[in-house]
Amino acid sequence: MKRLLTLFVVLSVGLTAVGTALGATLDDLERQLQAIQKQIQELKEEKQRQDQKIREMEAAQAAQKEEVKKEAASLREQARRVSSELAERVRIGGYGSVRFEGNSLKEQSNTFTFRRFVLTADAKPADPMQVYMELEFERFTQLELERTTRPQDGGLRVAQAIEGTDGSEISFEQLWFQYDLYPWLKFRTGQVLVPLGRFNINHDDNRWNIARRSLVDRGVPVLPVKSAWPELGAGFLGDIRLGELGKLTYEAYVINGVALDAEVENIAQTRDPRRDKLELEVEFQPSRGTAKLDMKDSKAVATRLAWSPYPGQEIAGSFYYGRYTPQFLSDESIVAFAIDGLTTIGPFEIEAEYVNTHFRNVDRVARSFARVVVDQSANIPSSVSPTFEAEVEFELAGLARNKHGYWIEGRYRFWPEFLTSTVFGKYFENPQLIAIVRGEQVWLNGLVREAEFEGGVLTKLEQENRRLYRVTAGLAYRPTPLVVFQLAYEYTKTDKGRSLAEVTNFLPAQSDEDEAHAILVGVAFGF
Amino acid sequence: MLSRRHFLTSLLTPAIVALAPNLISAQEGVFLDEEEAPRAVFPEGTHFEKKVVPSTEALREKMRGLLGRTRPSIWEDAYVTYLVRRHGERLGFAVIAEEIGKHRPITFVVGIKPNGKVKDVALMVYREAYGGEVRERRFMRQYHDKDLAAPLLPYRDIVNIAGATLSVQSIGRGVKKALVLAQLVLLDGAGRP
Repeated sequence: MKRLLTLFVVLSVGLTAVGTALGATLDDLERQLQAIQKQIQELKEEKQRQDQKIREMEAAQAAQKEEVKKEAASLREQARRVSSELAERVRIGGYGSVRFEGNSLKEQSNTFTFRRFVLTADAKPADPMQVYMELEFERFTQLELERTTRPQDGGLRVAQAIEGTDGSEISFEQLWFQYDLYPWLKFRTGQVLVPLGRFNINHDDNRWNIARRSLVDRGVPVLPVKSAWPELGAGFLGDIRLGELGKLTYEAYVINGVALDAEVENIAQTRDPRRDKLELEVEFQPSRGTAKLDMKDSKAVATRLAWSPYPGQEIAGSFYYGRYTPQFLSDESIVAFAIDGLTTIGPFEIEAEYVNTHFRNVDRVARSFARVVVDQSANIPSSVSPTFEAEVEFELAGLARNKHGYWIEGRYRFWPEFLTSTVFGKYFENPQLIAIVRGEQVWLNGLVREAEFEGGVLTKLEQENRRLYRVTAGLAYRPTPLVVFQLAYEYTKTDKGRSLAEVTNFLPAQSDEDEAHAILVGVAFGF
Repeated sequence: MLSRRHFLTSLLTPAIVALAPNLISAQEGVFLDEEEAPRAVFPEGTHFEKKVVPSTEALREKMRGLLGRTRPSIWEDAYVTYLVRRHGERLGFAVIAEEIGKHRPITFVVGIKPNGKVKDVALMVYREAYGGEVRERRFMRQYHDKDLAAPLLPYRDIVNIAGATLSVQSIGRGVKKALVLAQLVLLDGAGRP
């Protein structure tokens, strides 16, 4: 019993101790567990905070991206608007043409010619206003100026060289400002095309089907100045509707006008057995008026009135009047008039122009010229300089008492259906083949051939009457209205035994060549 | 000499200025707004019911088929059309169309009769610097009674305006487009509106 009691006591004490020990461990564990749970909770909250931050950052980034996108879109829209407004206000265009020519002349039998490239710009500073410009590069390849200035040989040496190609020209064909004062009255000022005849005001190469301009307007200019002929001035233009009677179109300008102006030519020539020669030739001929100070105290007037009874039909009369002599010569005038027209009957068209120009008192101008210039030429005599001759010479050129002539052109447009599926037709809406025949004649009456003078007195004035005609027949292909491929045969003839070069400005004929056959192949394009 | 020139110069200007203003026309400009357009081609109309026809790809495909060699320079997003009546009687449709001239779109309205032929054409907006003569009634009269079989091309059945060939060609394209639309959408199988 005692042993049992002892065992009981021992077990109780033991169990109590174990229980106490066990109770203490569970509390710790619970505390630890709570601590861990707290930590986990804190970590969770921290993660949530971090996630929230990330979300906020992402949202901010997305917002920022959206903002950037919006800004970019706004910038793009702004740029588009600006370029669209600019495109609305300024339009760039132009035309160009090249030609290959083979002819029967002895000296020059074939050549490519870069006829011209013309850049046009059309701007609207405000709704009723317009600025238009045509800048022409004719026969142009390059123009280069070199100049060096340096001390040399105990002095100063200035050297200048101009490098360019024959016939290169840069010119403003048109440069004007127009103000539509009312819808029916337009005021125009600047370099305007002189409205004499119909070619000068419609001279764009891609509008014509033959790769050479007409004689009266260009090759043997009956116009006071060859086309394109702009002058500085101001005037009015507009269209007048006449109801059932059709439409009148008018242009009327006051301009500086044509004047006899000097062209200075330098000629360096080696000769055998004669002396080598350096010549300065000053040629006075009718030229486009100046854009600086007018050399005559008088303005010219030019006007054209056209009546179009129906679409495709037009007949017009035009007139030019103005002094052509500079202030230092006697006061003489040019009177010129032209009649032109166009008629269309289905695929047939006939277009024509007649121009008549009268230079008044050419002989009086020659006498006046002699008085002012005094001596026609001056040179160093061979007794002073036996091997080298230097000469200065003054000449009158391009004058005739009267010049008149015409061109008439017939056209027939057609398109063979079998070409439609070929490369010539399949890309285009309305391709055309055009058969063309052009006839031209020019009369030069009282053409000044030579004016000799000495000591201020005209000693000889040699004038002659010349005639020239040309027939051209060809075929043109127009895939679209702005582009034309041209092929033509051309026959030109002047008075028997006389040179074509004396009366034309485009045929380098020898002295006995009075006729020329030529094949012209050209391309003209607009945009 | 000088006085004669001055006399001529001073004579020309007032003579031109004295011309009646309403006889003279301009090149660029807005000549009709959308509301005026159907009245311009159907002046006898009393009621104009507007209907906008969306230009879907399917419709364009059908139009291309009927247009043949005529290739529009613009496909409108939608076509503004008007059913025109006079006191209940159906006169036809007016369709507003656009085509590019040389550089910019020309907007015009085409009046189409119930038989599918052109009643009249009128220019609404001309944006080119040249060639505004296409606006003239005497030019637009050439389209009267033309139908889808007509070429509507310069030097074919339309007299050209020198220097405005691209604009003339554009008007022809636009008229064809309007005729095709009428055929496909506006007129019923019996050719009635």
